[in-house]
Amino acid sequence: MQNLSELMRRLISSDVEFVLVGGFAAVAHGVTLVTRDVDICCRFSDGNLKRIEKAFADLHPVHRSRPGLPLDLTPDQCATLKNLSLKTDLGIVDCLGEVLGVGSFDEVWQHSIEVELPYGKFHVLDIDALIRAKQAMNRDHDKITVRYLQEIKKQRATS
Amino acid sequence: MSKRVQENTDTPENALHDASPAYRPTDSEIDLSLLADSLGKTPWERMQANDDALNFADSLQMAMKRRYAKS
Repeated sequence: MQNLSELMRRLISSDVEFVLVGGFAAVAHGVTLVTRDVDICCRFSDGNLKRIEKAFADLHPVHRSRPGLPLDLTPDQCATLKNLSLKTDLGIVDCLGEVLGVGSFDEVWQHSIEVELPYGKFHVLDIDALIRAKQAMNRDHDKITVRYLQEIKKQRATS
Repeated sequence: MSKRVQENTDTPENALHDASPAYRPTDSEIDLSLLADSLGKTPWERMQANDDALNFADSLQMAMKRRYAKS
């Protein structure tokens, strides 16, 4: 059973410094396409990575590229990692140090908006930056997502 | 009823489409009725709807696998 919403709740409750990006951010904006993972851009500091590790500790997190390798971050890894792709019992979480088309975590943060959920607040990439990120990726499904996001922008402008 | 709609209801297909303009896809093939439904929800409700759709799709895929494993 996948539960991307619960993964989000854990990130928020664990005070992880992150911005929701990618397909789930598009869903939050209103896109009706279904996505299979949670993509976040986060600060790759020792403390923040440890908070991510703690948030998913009981969900058997493993590195997606090496499924036999449980998540057990060392200080050396924390200092050198640029991205962290995890598989958990509730779904996949991709942690990115920067977003193509937008920039570093600080730039991504500047282009984010705060959203309130029943259990806390989090930041999601704003619609213009998300369009830029999707255009930069330029895969087939990114192109479709951009069409939805542009339509949502148009509808918001007229409502 | 507008003149345009009257002109377009001469076939069952057109009559169905003209029952609600929201059913008509845009130039970019987006289903506006689905989009309107989504925009009427909160971000949290949209995320949960994604989870529901994802789990339903997974259960369908598992059912298809079982179906073909038998044959």
